[in-house]
Amino acid sequence: MDKNNTDKTEKLLATAQNLRWQVGENFHESLMESIYSDAARIADRAVKVDDVKKKYDWDVKIDKLVTSRTFGFPLMFLLLAAVFWITVEGANVPSGLLASLLVDFLHPVLKDFMLSFSPEWVAGFLIDGAYLSMAWVIAVMLPPMAIFFPVFTLLEDFGYLPRVAFNMDNLFRRAGAHGKQALTMSMGFGCNAAGVVATRVIDSPRERLIAIITNNFSLCNGRWPTQILIASIFIGAALPAHIAGLVSAGAVVFIAVLGILLSLVVSYGLSKTILKGEASAFSLELPPYRPPKIWQTLYTSLIDRTIFVLWRAIVFAIPAGMAIWLSANVMIDGTSIAEHFISWSNPMGLLLGLNGVILLAYIIAIPANEIVIPTVLMLTVLTAGNPELGAGTGVMFELESQSAMAEIFRMGGWTALTGINLMLFSLLHNPCSTTIYTIYKETGSVKWSVIATVLPLIMGLVVCFFTAQLWMLFAN
Amino acid sequence: MSDPLISLILGFIIVSALMAFFFPDKGLLAIWRRSAKDSKKEALEDALKHVYDCEYNSLSCTIRSIAGHLHTNMDKAAEVSARLESMGLITSNNQKLYLTDEGRSYALRIIRVHRLWEHYLADHSSVKETEWHSEAEIVEHTMTIEEADSLAAKMGNPLIDPHGDPIPTAGLELPELGGVHLNELEKGDIGRIIHLEDEPQAVFSQLIAMGLHNGMQIHIIDKRTDRIIFEANGEENILAPTLAANITVKKIEDQSEILDDFTPLSSLQVGETGIVKGISRALRGQQRRRLMDLGVVPGSKITPELVSRAGNPVAYRIRGASVALRKQHSDLIFVEKGE
Repeated sequence: MDKNNTDKTEKLLATAQNLRWQVGENFHESLMESIYSDAARIADRAVKVDDVKKKYDWDVKIDKLVTSRTFGFPLMFLLLAAVFWITVEGANVPSGLLASLLVDFLHPVLKDFMLSFSPEWVAGFLIDGAYLSMAWVIAVMLPPMAIFFPVFTLLEDFGYLPRVAFNMDNLFRRAGAHGKQALTMSMGFGCNAAGVVATRVIDSPRERLIAIITNNFSLCNGRWPTQILIASIFIGAALPAHIAGLVSAGAVVFIAVLGILLSLVVSYGLSKTILKGEASAFSLELPPYRPPKIWQTLYTSLIDRTIFVLWRAIVFAIPAGMAIWLSANVMIDGTSIAEHFISWSNPMGLLLGLNGVILLAYIIAIPANEIVIPTVLMLTVLTAGNPELGAGTGVMFELESQSAMAEIFRMGGWTALTGINLMLFSLLHNPCSTTIYTIYKETGSVKWSVIATVLPLIMGLVVCFFTAQLWMLFAN
Repeated sequence: MSDPLISLILGFIIVSALMAFFFPDKGLLAIWRRSAKDSKKEALEDALKHVYDCEYNSLSCTIRSIAGHLHTNMDKAAEVSARLESMGLITSNNQKLYLTDEGRSYALRIIRVHRLWEHYLADHSSVKETEWHSEAEIVEHTMTIEEADSLAAKMGNPLIDPHGDPIPTAGLELPELGGVHLNELEKGDIGRIIHLEDEPQAVFSQLIAMGLHNGMQIHIIDKRTDRIIFEANGEENILAPTLAANITVKKIEDQSEILDDFTPLSSLQVGETGIVKGISRALRGQQRRRLMDLGVVPGSKITPELVSRAGNPVAYRIRGASVALRKQHSDLIFVEKGE
């Protein structure tokens, strides 16, 4: 009986195999063709099309404008600049409010509360370390994201962003990438983690990986303040007052443009080497324009993007805050771990035109670029032996006055080269841990996460080294 | 601190040394990894494949032909064939080598892996067609037949590889393909390419460079002793008969299958309307499926609607949606101009 059955199965399989050869390889396509033609016939009979011509005319007019040779690119730059301007201007006030509430007001209150019943190190570890780091990340990250993402999503909803991808595709095609990478790159200017999530719109595997790996070259929201601060202290201050602002702004823009250029170059390199064989397919749908649904957009962009990214950042900021506090407070032979590391890594830092403090800050402040400068300040006053200038050992701080911060940097032995290289290194270093984790979640691959992490770091080290050595060669 | 000039030179040397070592594909590490494979096993398997090819093409196989195939000397080739014989994979009779049953199924297993991998590269990667064969030559020695079977199942058990060769089934049967060589067609005949021989590489590269690929419609315009002039998808080509023997075609008897218009979609101007006639077989895998999903199937109306600022891509209206396509793809979609 059993044998009989197997015989039958085998016979059946053989017949099926035979038939497959007779119908050929293309029968899937013939099937699809006939489904389409049947569907079209039924639709023609059953569906009445109202006169939609008028609405469609509008679409054509807008399309002609946004893809026109004269107005296409200026319009795009203007709109994107407006989005950034709204973000920066709009975020100032709420960021200040949040900082004064969470850092200036709540931090001492919580510290006193903890001190009332627990030993000093517990209060320091939990409040100066974990809480402060979390509060800092919320205060600097939340407002810009809560403005940038909804505005960006509104443009997307209206139907404008696919046209940007359409216009930019020629450039990105030459770099081996997808036109929609222009969008994920712009999103990266707000936040790299969000930019990486946004690559989901790229439906071709190879181009999506390229967009993920190169997103870090978009100078994110957490790095703009660092760039602006360092540029105005180390580049602007060296110049006469009336051009100082312009030149330091120019330097920041130069770094951002350098990031865009590098992302194109790296895209090209990736598509020609390690990503050569990944599957690739291109198509880009241009949806009709429609009035954006404002409330829905606000809700989804706040929940899906802002809260999502902020939550991941907080999860990483808390342990990092603890590590930062411990590094400055755990002593070995009377000196803190941080100082041990700094004096050990300082020669290497100097070789790169940076210093040990900056290297350590980039290691322990990995959860968010926003807390790099506060960490640098804390470590600088710690190693200079003047912790009274700051807010206490292991407590991150920032000062109101730029000249006071410049004073601290000079005390740490910073030169113009340190400033320039910090700007370069801030562009070219590993993504923050939030972004790395997001890359891992999106690609599901350790390999690509490691490449996305290590590649910009190596580029940064190489660029900083050569800049520093050339500088020293010509400055002497 | 050390002298910056020395540091610069040292830094430059270190960076270039690291690049030379780690560079993808061309770096020392990549070269070393490629050469570290089991070269003995490879020689055996390549020789076995050669004996199989001889049998398939009804040619006689000798130690000399193995030496030629493996690019090695007679001693090495003799060593390899002696080893194959001791493994019971081949027998020799009067200087000629024959496969045993066991040897035949071993060879078919290698061929199955090779052709499946070519199919995988063609449909599920963007590796260039000139590299399919050489990549598969490496993979055929490392992939096990179980891995190949699960790969085949994932791809829906494909029947033929991208060159048009039949893929041995899981039961190691190799279906007959049929068809005739291009130089056997007569003037005026119409056929479809079903196979492009991928060896020797130089000839294959030349055929690819002419834009030939499987599924193309061939129309013989003129045939002389020294050359064959034919139209492939509407474009005129000239080939020497020896090269034409690397192309296998199947004559088209059914008139309704013959396509007479090969206007590429990319040649339509904004406002003109075309009816899709077909998608060239050169568009494969994901890109082909994507186009069909979007409604680019024979019979669909398609109209260029919007040209991007740089002229590429162009947005087309297909079945009520606006979809941008790059020129490299719209070149391979054939339409008939309407209205």
